[in-house]
Amino acid sequence: MKKIIALLLALVMVFSLVACGDSGNSDVTPGTDQAGEPAAPDAAPGDEETPAEEPADVVEDPAPAPADGEDVVLPRNETLYFAGQQWGAVNSWNPIGTNQNNAMAIASGVGWRETMFETLYMWNALDGKLYGLLANDDYAWNDDMTQLTFTIKDAAKWSDGTAVTAADVKKTFDIGIEIGNGVAGSYGAYIDSIDADGNTVTINAKLNDAGQPVNPLKILDFLVLQAIAQENWINTCYDRNNGDATAILNDAGDDVVWSGPYTKYYSDDQKVVLVRDDNYWGQDASMWGSLPVPKYLAHNIYADNAAGEVALKAGEVDVCQQFIGNVQNLWLEDGLPISTYYDEAPYGICLTMPTAWFNMNIPVIGENAALRRAIAMAVDYDSIIANAMTNQSPSFSEVPRSLMNPTAGEQALYNQSEVADLQFAGNDVEGAKALLDEAGLVDTDGDGWREYNGEKISLNAVCPNGWSDWQASMEIVAAAGEKIGVEITTLYPEYDIYQTVFVDPNQTEYAIFMWSPDASTPSNPWTRVNQFMGMDYIGIQNNWSGNWGQYKNEEADALIKQIPLTTDETELKRLYTELTKIYLTEVPSFSLMYRPSMFHTVNESVWTNYPADDGRNIPPADCTDGYGIRALYELELVG
Amino acid sequence: MKNTLRQVFHSSKFVAGFVIFVAIILMMIIYPLFNPGNPLEQIGVGTFAKPGTYVSLYDAARTKTDTLRLPDAADNRIAAALTDEDRVAMVEWFTLMGADISDLDTADTDAMIELWHETYDPTARPKGMTNAKINYYKRLNNAIMDLGAADTITIAEYNDEGVLEESKTILDTDYVNTKNVANVKTLPLGTDNFGRDVLKELVSATGTSIRIGLIAGIVATVIGLTFGLLAGYVGGWLDDIIMFITNIFTVIPSFVLLILITYSLGQEQRGAAVVATVIGFTSWTWTARSVRSQVISLRNRDHVNLSKLSGHSLVRIVVMDILPYIASYVVMAFILQVSSGILAEAQLSLLGLGPKTTQVPTLGLMMNWAMLYSAHTNGSWWAYFPVILIITLISFSLNLMNTGLDQVFNPTLRD
Repeated sequence: MKKIIALLLALVMVFSLVACGDSGNSDVTPGTDQAGEPAAPDAAPGDEETPAEEPADVVEDPAPAPADGEDVVLPRNETLYFAGQQWGAVNSWNPIGTNQNNAMAIASGVGWRETMFETLYMWNALDGKLYGLLANDDYAWNDDMTQLTFTIKDAAKWSDGTAVTAADVKKTFDIGIEIGNGVAGSYGAYIDSIDADGNTVTINAKLNDAGQPVNPLKILDFLVLQAIAQENWINTCYDRNNGDATAILNDAGDDVVWSGPYTKYYSDDQKVVLVRDDNYWGQDASMWGSLPVPKYLAHNIYADNAAGEVALKAGEVDVCQQFIGNVQNLWLEDGLPISTYYDEAPYGICLTMPTAWFNMNIPVIGENAALRRAIAMAVDYDSIIANAMTNQSPSFSEVPRSLMNPTAGEQALYNQSEVADLQFAGNDVEGAKALLDEAGLVDTDGDGWREYNGEKISLNAVCPNGWSDWQASMEIVAAAGEKIGVEITTLYPEYDIYQTVFVDPNQTEYAIFMWSPDASTPSNPWTRVNQFMGMDYIGIQNNWSGNWGQYKNEEADALIKQIPLTTDETELKRLYTELTKIYLTEVPSFSLMYRPSMFHTVNESVWTNYPADDGRNIPPADCTDGYGIRALYELELVG
Repeated sequence: MKNTLRQVFHSSKFVAGFVIFVAIILMMIIYPLFNPGNPLEQIGVGTFAKPGTYVSLYDAARTKTDTLRLPDAADNRIAAALTDEDRVAMVEWFTLMGADISDLDTADTDAMIELWHETYDPTARPKGMTNAKINYYKRLNNAIMDLGAADTITIAEYNDEGVLEESKTILDTDYVNTKNVANVKTLPLGTDNFGRDVLKELVSATGTSIRIGLIAGIVATVIGLTFGLLAGYVGGWLDDIIMFITNIFTVIPSFVLLILITYSLGQEQRGAAVVATVIGFTSWTWTARSVRSQVISLRNRDHVNLSKLSGHSLVRIVVMDILPYIASYVVMAFILQVSSGILAEAQLSLLGLGPKTTQVPTLGLMMNWAMLYSAHTNGSWWAYFPVILIITLISFSLNLMNTGLDQVFNPTLRD
């Protein structure tokens, strides 16, 4: 008897050990997360989205139809699968809230995501034009640009069948200002009020002391980036939360009324599915004339980029908004039916330029423009572009450096020949050394490193850990420092630490650090230029908006302030050229590469006729953003 | 001593492990002599160049040529440009374009190319054809155009007036001897994500990793040995305290502890030596426990008691009378500590908590970067597989040596 008990006990111990062993192994797996770069390219500073956080509370299941994830069976030939947008479960479906973490419905990339909630106009980053959506095509400024007027389309309807009116636009703005959501942050300083008269909307600009509008460009941003919510629903939401701003911002919005072609169907921490609204107003001839082709838009939530990439290769993902290194190998070597916007490098449309910012709070940097310029000149950008971007970016000899992104529209805004002497394409070690010698930053004690005021110049180059392309870039910046006798060491803190330090206007911990300026909206390149050199951001705590290096230049700031009010193209060009000159002489920051703000890699196993460089003028905007949503109306099934 | 060594080298397992380990050490010493330079130098622009020999095209174009009339040269050229799948795809295109392919022989390259020129239209977009496929046909067309091009390639240079001037013509029968080309670089293991020579980096990283293992091993063994000897020999309350500490360390999984310590150190502090020391500090417990138990069985032996009676000091008794009896065990434990130190570094680096990146190459960092750049999904096996192989070989050889020693010194295992 004793023996049997002993045997049983031994068995129990063995099993429990095995069980412990398994859980022990799983300690190691979180390492795979490091490869991911969650949501980084998606969240443009200054728009609705606050930095993604883990959902604080479990929201009620907003799905109308299926009760259980197991029951969600989506016919493959009616579903368009996405990757690279949604990380973690959806927080809310509330278009006037914050922190929705809802990348399929409430987000913006290259323009607003027009799937469920619609904007007045659609932004087309390709031609820089606004296309009417809820509003009719033509908007009009009055003569001194203090008022902008347009009308709402007659056909535009909410999902409950009522018409979209000017009052909805007014209410969306007013409630935003009242409860302090993204509207207040993005447009509160530029829009004074909105008047609604039937179908006619008039936006009144805020005026400065001189009686001029503060910034008409930002009002255009409102037209393409602000989704309009229904007045009735806003009132319902307001009443049930007793007007408490925090409660309204966090309202789950399960009963929300929408105007777009899709609505929520299912969501949990595994996937998010939108279903087509077959009563969508846009099938009216005055808009699209038809419904979008896929019945479902689905986004499985992947652990990291690598998982999304594997799913794309397997044909489980149709549209992939992720950076894929050497993307051409997917078709050249693996022979997969995968394509990008362009068949050749750079494969996509580069709208932004990840930039290394010099921290002006550090004396040796702030006091030595020569040091800043020398470091920027010595960096081997071709290596960065070949390495971090695997050549999915034009080089700085192809598109010389300036304040502009590489699109033709922005490049035409400054005079290339006037600044040609100041532009540098990188890897100019001798030139950089000469510049430093000339500035008196020399190696006096013979240790191979240059000194300033008797102290060795020692800087760090910082970006978040696991953001591998930026890390590789920082390594190349450090290598450039070594070549010119300036010690630069790399530092990769975790993102949660990084994001608290680089937004602090007084920090001296990071000397050279990375962040991306704005990509493409109607107010660009002005917003970007302001981010590079504007003084609006000096001393702002928790500064997510711009000028992260805290560069101060009154002259540049004055020029920047003139631009929004300048309509004369020659004058505009002169201003941008002057600013480019200052930027290239002073080098408060230096861009390391050009980069698409959204990647567009599509697998054509199920769907085809995606946006491509074929004259259709549909931007590669994930088939959902701004005018890019037109792609959904043109998709075809393969075979 | 001599006798012991002879005994040890009679163990085939030990010898096998020893040979592998020495071979790795020799590679570490000899390879840099033939291929000197900074192992972290980024020679390649771009990521993951394939293993192979790279011939400078610039120099080759200026090298004296010899004429070789190889019978299969033309066939090879066609085969490289036009695979069997390409031929199938061409036939598909002909069908789509409604061409007559009833008496077409797909092996007849000339006929295929002729028909291709007749039917291919770069602007055509057959119904239902994917963009990927259309792009594929564009590339195929380019390849076919190259095939049909003239037999010579002309090299021209800009002269002083900025006018192109023909300087050389290359025939399809011109060959250069790679010995005559000024720049030929063989990269046996290609380049990694930074464009570094993987083999060179691997050799250097192996050295660093073994050093990390040695430091970790020494730290762990010294701590474990000191605690074990003291606890075992002195006993009493000292034993209680030491065992209390040891038990606490044993209960906390050492890898978790390792992660926490390295994380809190911050990246700036994490040099290779620091990481090695931290690894040592978290892995001494088992050495301490086993040394203690062995010492307890030794401390009442006659010769120890004799020493005590002679009035020898504690240090002398421990070092002269006890340590020699457990030396073989300590050596074996040390070997295992080295092996686990190397593995711990690799694990830490893979989590991004290894030594500060790219100051020194280590095996773990090489794997970490390969993983960050998805080498495992994009088929760049040379960036990580040799690293895994080396780690495996090092642990394998060390463990083999350990087993061999065990067989020699452990009476119950002796043949």
